[in-house]
Amino acid sequence: MRSLPGRFHDGRNATTHAVQVTPTNTGLEIRGPDGLLIAFWHMADLRADGNLPKGQGIRLRCTAEGDARLTMEQAEFVRPLLPVHPGRSWRRPVMVVAAVILLAVGLWQGLPAAARYLAAWIPAPWEQRWGDAVADGFAQSLGRCTQPAGEAALDLLIGRLSAGLPPAERPRRILVVPSSDINAFALPGGTILVFSGLLADLKNPDELAGVLAHEVTHLRLHHPTAAMIRASGVGLVVTLVTGDASGLVASGAAMALAGTYSRDDEMAADAGAQQLLAQAGLDGHGLADFLSRLGSTGLPRWLDSHPAPAARVETLKRGPMPMGDTALSSEQWNAVKGMCGGPHRAPRKGSDI
Amino acid sequence: MTGPSPLSEQSPDQPTSPFIHQGPTGAMIRLALTNLALNIVTLSLWRFWGKTRVRRALWGNTLAWGDAAQYTGQGRELFLGFALVLVAILMPLLVANGVFQALLRSGQSWAALPLTGLQVLVLFLAAAGLYRARRYQMSRTLWRGIRGGMDGAAWRYGLLFLLASATSVLSLGWAWPWAEMTMMRYRLNHTQFGNRHFQCSARSAPLYGRFAVLWLAVALASAAVMLSPLLVATMGYWASSLARPRLFGFFGGAAALGLLMAALSYAWYRAAWYRELAAHTMFDQARFSMTATTGGLIRLTLGNMLISLLSLGILRPWSSLRTFRFACNHLRVTGEPVWTGITTQTSPQPRLGEGLAAAFDGVGDF
Repeated sequence: MRSLPGRFHDGRNATTHAVQVTPTNTGLEIRGPDGLLIAFWHMADLRADGNLPKGQGIRLRCTAEGDARLTMEQAEFVRPLLPVHPGRSWRRPVMVVAAVILLAVGLWQGLPAAARYLAAWIPAPWEQRWGDAVADGFAQSLGRCTQPAGEAALDLLIGRLSAGLPPAERPRRILVVPSSDINAFALPGGTILVFSGLLADLKNPDELAGVLAHEVTHLRLHHPTAAMIRASGVGLVVTLVTGDASGLVASGAAMALAGTYSRDDEMAADAGAQQLLAQAGLDGHGLADFLSRLGSTGLPRWLDSHPAPAARVETLKRGPMPMGDTALSSEQWNAVKGMCGGPHRAPRKGSDI
Repeated sequence: MTGPSPLSEQSPDQPTSPFIHQGPTGAMIRLALTNLALNIVTLSLWRFWGKTRVRRALWGNTLAWGDAAQYTGQGRELFLGFALVLVAILMPLLVANGVFQALLRSGQSWAALPLTGLQVLVLFLAAAGLYRARRYQMSRTLWRGIRGGMDGAAWRYGLLFLLASATSVLSLGWAWPWAEMTMMRYRLNHTQFGNRHFQCSARSAPLYGRFAVLWLAVALASAAVMLSPLLVATMGYWASSLARPRLFGFFGGAAALGLLMAALSYAWYRAAWYRELAAHTMFDQARFSMTATTGGLIRLTLGNMLISLLSLGILRPWSSLRTFRFACNHLRVTGEPVWTGITTQTSPQPRLGEGLAAAFDGVGDF
């Protein structure tokens, strides 16, 4: 077979050798201009090593010769000579993608359990300081409603709801802040925060008892702390996988996933509330009545932190419905309703209950 | 591609343009879009292999003295390097940061001290990681059968960076040209091709004239940006309601003008910086020079910023391509290294990729 011109670099120094390459049955003979054999590359060791820019030729290497390279312009004569190596199998990439998805699903499913477990181990004083920091922030910006008769009625109701609970699971305090939002939430460390808009919206003491029983259950089950841990967990995992140290991707993912997780917490709190009401011998229709009045937030379902109120009402009505006393006397009820005084502006849609 | 032929015969003391980049834009954009699709499917884990493909295109289309360079790195090396850093460094750092943050929030004020320490540590690791990334890239660069490389110590470079940052802050920025050039000299003097080191003796002293202009422009711009709302507020109180919009316009315009001046003088300074750096860098018998102008640098930087911003970073490989072309078009060399004397190096090569830098997102595509 005729010989072809090429450029040869021996991998020992940076000199270029203009060579003549003669293909034989067993390999490539690489000869200098004087016809002396510089190298012999066996067919079995020969590998294509990329194309030159603008299709100006082909680069070859030899597995036995490390960094040595042979470049040739007449790629069309060289290519057919190269040994055929089996193409890369599709199995490995598919396995990798499957493993990635499996790992992601495993983390996604395992995180709530891990967060619950960890939340039970966080020292109570830590939780209290975190919760108090948030509560103090609200109290500072909005103020507090501190009418003694109303506070006493609320404390009485909380006391009745949590009478059967071990001391560590009882709420520590309940705060009412003036705000037109129809909202209440549980904070880490046993604080329940109630917006006066909620008190104004409630129709009777049983609704109040239902809402408070729901928040007390959030606290018993350490939901607020678990939610914080879950958010940090999602952030940690996403930061680790994407390598995005700015935290932008992480906080986005944490927000998107927070809803998925907290909807389970809400259903658990609804179920727990009914149990507490039954134990306290109180009437259990209040929570469902209140929720059926509550409009949807208008958020897309997957982003919303709460299940649709209609679905919650249906679940509540399907479960056992406690029958019992009305939670507060009419004087106590009036004291609670009048805690912040004054009429309220039109409430916003949506709520954290 | 523009630029004179690299093989044209010229007298030895005439500068030549031996570097030519021949990478087509369309292919690079296609590659970037393919990488995007694969990144989505793999929850971003493809990025190590994608980056490797981009580098192969960038390196492989670069000709020097008529021969194409080659990037021999593997996606697997980058991935394993990142995984190692993830487990050994990033995860402990994040956990420590989370714990100290939680302690701080729960009222333990002493936790602020280790938190500050962690921030300094991250700065150090980012700089050391950048050095290790460059070392890895050089070791995976093959041209005419010879590899690049880097000696020196990444931790020394990290300490140098901390020192440079501290002196720059303490001197209100005036130590910055000196500090930056010192770091650049450290990098270049420890960069080698084969057994031969680059030699860099660039100094910052000739740059201080332009830096003074830059410093003043930045000072004026920050003053305008910080003071204008204050001035508008105080003077707006006295001015009639008719004059208020004009007052806003005046100070807003002053702030915008200040920022523009700062950006222009930065490009003016940076062009001189590149020329100074290249002019005092040698490799064997070859002396480098750079023909970068302020205008060219502004076009390059502005274009790259627009590409990255408008494509949300997806087309960043295209801006890397533009940077490679710019460098090839503007680098000149006087004299030619004696290639027979440049032999393969025997020092050990890094086995894993640039984990640290990948963790702190320091290097982009190259």
